[in-house]
Amino acid sequence: MIKALGYFIEIIRGILITTRHFVVNLFFHILKVLGIKTKRKGAVTIQYPEQKKEVASRHRSLHRLMTRKDGKPRCVACMLCVTVCPSECIYVEAAEDPDLEIQKYPAKFIIDLGRCCFCGFCVEACPEDAIRMDTGNVDFAEYSQQDLIYDLDKLIG
Amino acid sequence: MIKIFIDEQQVEVEEGMTVLKAAERAGIHIPHLCYHPAFPPEGSCRMCLVEIEGFPKLELACSTVVKEDMKISIKSARVVEARKAVLEFLLAEHPLDCPICDKAGDCKLQDYYDEYGLFESKFSETKEKREKKLKIGKTLILDQERCILCTRCVRFLKEVTKTQELGVFHRGIDAEVNIYEGAAVLNNYTGNLAQICPVGAITDEDFRFKTRSWFLKEGESICPLCSRGCNILIEYHPGFPRFEVPRRAYRIKARENPEVNGFWVCDRGKYGYSYLEEGRADKIILNKIEGKDVLTWENISEYLGEKIKRVSSAKKTSGIALVLHTWLSNEELFLIHKIFRKGLKVKKIFFADLPQGEADEYLLTSETSPNRRGAQEIGFDIKAVNLDALAKGTDFLLAFGPFLSGLFSLKALKEVLSKVKRKVLISSYLNEVNSLFDIVIPAALIAEKEGSLTNVDGVIQSFKPALEPPGESLPEWKVLADLGKELGTDSKLFEDLNSPGAILGEMGKEIPFFKKK
Repeated sequence: MIKALGYFIEIIRGILITTRHFVVNLFFHILKVLGIKTKRKGAVTIQYPEQKKEVASRHRSLHRLMTRKDGKPRCVACMLCVTVCPSECIYVEAAEDPDLEIQKYPAKFIIDLGRCCFCGFCVEACPEDAIRMDTGNVDFAEYSQQDLIYDLDKLIG
Repeated sequence: MIKIFIDEQQVEVEEGMTVLKAAERAGIHIPHLCYHPAFPPEGSCRMCLVEIEGFPKLELACSTVVKEDMKISIKSARVVEARKAVLEFLLAEHPLDCPICDKAGDCKLQDYYDEYGLFESKFSETKEKREKKLKIGKTLILDQERCILCTRCVRFLKEVTKTQELGVFHRGIDAEVNIYEGAAVLNNYTGNLAQICPVGAITDEDFRFKTRSWFLKEGESICPLCSRGCNILIEYHPGFPRFEVPRRAYRIKARENPEVNGFWVCDRGKYGYSYLEEGRADKIILNKIEGKDVLTWENISEYLGEKIKRVSSAKKTSGIALVLHTWLSNEELFLIHKIFRKGLKVKKIFFADLPQGEADEYLLTSETSPNRRGAQEIGFDIKAVNLDALAKGTDFLLAFGPFLSGLFSLKALKEVLSKVKRKVLISSYLNEVNSLFDIVIPAALIAEKEGSLTNVDGVIQSFKPALEPPGESLPEWKVLADLGKELGTDSKLFEDLNSPGAILGEMGKEIPFFKKK
């Protein structure tokens, strides 16, 4: 009984804290509307799905594969990313390119984003700067695990 | 024996040895690229420079002969400096295409740069353009830019195969390894070139771009494709954990054994590794059995024993026939000899092997199976399969191996085998003849089991499993040892035969040929 009372006290405390923040922020916003300058500003949030904040330049977001000038992937299928990946989510299959300057290109390049831990090691390991995590895209949630497996087309596109 | 000092460590070596060999014997590695133990020293790479007390200049470890009380230092500042300089010159013309080079990972140049180099190149000149993808043989590709002119390949073709298809052309910066006009490297030992090349200049089309060398695990085994019994390393990928790629062998390398194959392996052994995976049986196949619904490895010897007992008690042992092959190890053949020839006095024993192939004058023999000599030494009379004799009055047939389908047409086999009441096959492969047998038991290959083989010259070589057998496959010796216990033949002998080593020990007691020397 006494334990249950304790819960109620905490809930009421929580409501009071939320109310205090609401009232204080409302107060400062009203002052701003009235044109009175104060040192403290009212808290601001953004309307997330419609409005998006720009991520920091070093933020690690969805991967992309870089391309050469002619649109071929820059990747040479050296498999260093496969080797370094701690969550073993990259799978690469190499193929022979007739161009002697290229020789080796990835026939398959698959990243299982459901497994990826966004450590960025693949980006660090890549000797060709072929993979980057700078798309700024962070909301690629899907309804099925299968849709989180990205292949070459999806990663280049 | 004389004593020398390598970095103040005293080493006892034989007289007349080179410094490099002496150090190697003492477990000290002196960096080298062009030296290969199979050939006389060449001294073209200059990586093995060492400082010897009393010598004004640095000396080549690969070609300097040791003397009493020689004081050699291989890690002094002067030596390391020289090694760095040599590396810098070698790398001045070497392209930086390690990401697409198949040698990356087991390239000696990479290793030494990691150990001694780690410098920025001082050369601002552009690197020479040369042929990047020159097809020089059946499956070999030469990249002249990567070549460091160690001439190992040239010396191999001159001294081992004596065919001399490759040579060094031009001089100075234009020097390059190439084939003579209109010729190609076409002998039976070309696969070794890709293995002895210390850099990625000669690569193998068979392995090209398939995987990276650091993903591969290696297992020691013996090549079963001819009766020479070359020692090999099987390099395989254990299977990518996430995307469930099954275990796969990627290449075969020769393993050093001066008694049998030296440092080499022939192209049949090198490229014929598809037998390790293609069409393998991995489950017990039950086409027609009575009594039991499920047969597992635990009760299969019980089942076989019961059937054999029934036949041998009713009809004497003329109702039993065996078809063997000489891919079986010494131990397995010995167990068959004990159970069926000595124990049950079975007369109808045939051998189904592939027909003889082509031999060359060096390693490859005409025998296509690895243990014919072993079967002969145990005392088997190697008779080819005679279908009429096989089926006549036979109630129980125990056959080993997939080779029956290669020797006879399916129709002929079907006709003969339909007369035999009970037929059991122990085979590693999914094969059309499997449907003719009541039970097909999957067996492990030589690369997947333990045992020993006797090669054409009578050398007995033991081997350990290099790979995991697929699925339910188990080695034949296990089935046979269990069967021996079940049948109660020579129970004293079979009681503690739990490993091929123990069986080989027993063999030594009985057959002097297999006695440990």
